[in-house]
Amino acid sequence: MTQRPMIELKDVHKYYGDYHALRGINADIKAGEFFSLLGPSGCGKTTLLRTIAGFEDITSGVVMIDAKHMEGVPANKRPTNMVFQSYAIFPHLTVAQNVGFGLRRDPRSQAEKDKAVAEALEMVGLKGFGARAAHALSGGQRQRVALARALILKPKVLLLDEPLSALDKKLRENMQVELIKLQRQVGITFILVTHDQEEALVMSDRIAVMFEGEIAQLDDPETLYRLPKSRKVADFIGHMNFLPAAIHGEANGEIEVEVLGLGRCHISDKQAPGAVSGGEASIGFRPETLTILYEGQAATDRETTGKVEEVVYYGDMTYYDVKLDGVADPVRISMRNVPGRPVLERGASTRVAWSASALVLFR
Amino acid sequence: MKSNGNGLLVYAIVYLAFLYAPIFLLPLFAFNDATIIAFPLRGFTTGWFKAMADDGVLKGAVLNSLIVASSTAVLSTTLAIFAARASTRFDFKGKGAIMGLIMMPLVLPEIVMAMAILVVFLQVFGDILGLFTIILGHTLVCTPFAIAILSAAFQSLDKSLEEAAYDLGENKFSTFRLIILPLVLPGVVSALLISFTISMDEFILANFLGGQTPTLPVYIYSQLRFPKAIPVIMAVATCLVAVSICLLIIAEYFRRRGVAKTGGKDTGGFL
Ligand SMILES: Nc1ncnc2c1ncn2[C@@H]1O[C@H](COP(=O)(O)OP(=O)(O)OP(=O)(O)O)[C@@H](O)[C@H]1O
Ligand SMILES: [Mg+2]
Repeated sequence: MTQRPMIELKDVHKYYGDYHALRGINADIKAGEFFSLLGPSGCGKTTLLRTIAGFEDITSGVVMIDAKHMEGVPANKRPTNMVFQSYAIFPHLTVAQNVGFGLRRDPRSQAEKDKAVAEALEMVGLKGFGARAAHALSGGQRQRVALARALILKPKVLLLDEPLSALDKKLRENMQVELIKLQRQVGITFILVTHDQEEALVMSDRIAVMFEGEIAQLDDPETLYRLPKSRKVADFIGHMNFLPAAIHGEANGEIEVEVLGLGRCHISDKQAPGAVSGGEASIGFRPETLTILYEGQAATDRETTGKVEEVVYYGDMTYYDVKLDGVADPVRISMRNVPGRPVLERGASTRVAWSASALVLFR
Repeated sequence: MKSNGNGLLVYAIVYLAFLYAPIFLLPLFAFNDATIIAFPLRGFTTGWFKAMADDGVLKGAVLNSLIVASSTAVLSTTLAIFAARASTRFDFKGKGAIMGLIMMPLVLPEIVMAMAILVVFLQVFGDILGLFTIILGHTLVCTPFAIAILSAAFQSLDKSLEEAAYDLGENKFSTFRLIILPLVLPGVVSALLISFTISMDEFILANFLGGQTPTLPVYIYSQLRFPKAIPVIMAVATCLVAVSICLLIIAEYFRRRGVAKTGGKDTGGFL
């Protein structure tokens, strides 16, 4: 049995005057999914979110929520609620009045509503804060109030526009975990807008990476990280090294490539997930897929040699920029710092282990 | 450096003295037991206030002024709410031109407006001059001030507050009532008070458009011709100063309460 997606976007276009902000968005978002829209500033993430919320009319295309056409349905009639980037806490009301705001038209008795408000506050960890003035809250508390206020209405979809960007790093990381827990607890479809790739990777079931009004790739975090479909996506999510490559043939699901600095190898055609663009081919790999070999250590697969150009020590990790023999630009290699393993000096010559299975081909 | 600072201090003192000394003289002469406004003071009396209280025409003028000023305040603030909301929240064709024309009375000589309105009223409507026509004229003058104050209030509203309320199931009207209006309330109070004050002491329009119905400023002006009446006028002026100070305190109270309630930064009010 296949369940109907919670949200279906079909060829959604949006123009602001002459500016083409959304250029044919297609996506299905499953019920109960934690879905993220990730992309650089100005790529149209907020616009797409507001399109789903009903704050923006689309120029063409179809938005369906829970199998219903949303054309002509205003924001206050959609089964969605939004957590705004600024939180939009009503400053003249108390915390409880803020959280209970959406219940004004609810036919339940006041006592039942008060109970619902108390429960919502408890859920976001603000038990007993109801009587406080909303404007006197900290950033993290505001964010929780905004969450409680939206969730109390039990929407089918919760829309979050960069909800954590105003918080400092520690608090942000805590809230990420809390949001994931909360989402599992309530089982509501979450759509999160973020420009922070780490946040998207940590939190989401699936991520849509957007560039210039288009979805460049829509996948689960692991696929997105391991098998990006384009160099642009690869570059946006984490760090990826690129080396020029030449394709020497393709047969039986295998591709033979000659990689500058690494040599000739065979890779699976699954390692070339992107469409053929016709440009120059290149091979990409993540910093952690190479290993700096220490004296006497044997490579498990293939190895090459190079020279350490730069060392950046991070405590738990060390980043090396290594110039592979025969390659002009250095590649980045990250190594976990473990006891007994010395951190290399700049200028040191080293052997580097690599494996063909960790390569991604862009062609 | 030092002497320069002293110079500025002297300048500030002279400036303030010039501004406020005449106002301090008002109560002095209002309680002075003499018909002539001159030093030395003679003795203390509350007689002028009694004469003021007994003056039927004066009371009529005060009543007229109160009616005109309150009506003007309510009318111009209401109009200004619509205009300020429209100009800050929506984009429409000819917005700049329309807003510019509405704000024009701020810089238009009042005498020009007074004559123009007078001619139109007399030609088109016949002799309808009275409180109503003064109110119309004053509303024209006060609305731009109210718009200036309210635009600032509406401008400082975060648009996502409205969107949040709408998103939570309210309609446009209830959003306005529940969220926007309470948050711009300090601005509304300021606009009411400013319009009231401007209308209260406006002379030119009131004189031209009032026909046989004098407002307080018109009455005061008419009395200045009679030297005997001047101490009474001093008493009237003293009362006006007292009322103004009260209004100022009320306005400041509301402004501070608004600031405190919404947790904003106190940036100093209009008043
Ligand atoms: N109301 C509007 N009128 C005209 N152009 C707009 C409007 N809203 C957004 N845009 C434009 O549409 C593009 C996408 O905007 P959007 O706010 O969706 O970006 P975003 O991906 O959310 O970026 P950010 O990460 O900076 O929030 C931007 O170039 C922006 O200038
Ligand atoms: Mg945005």
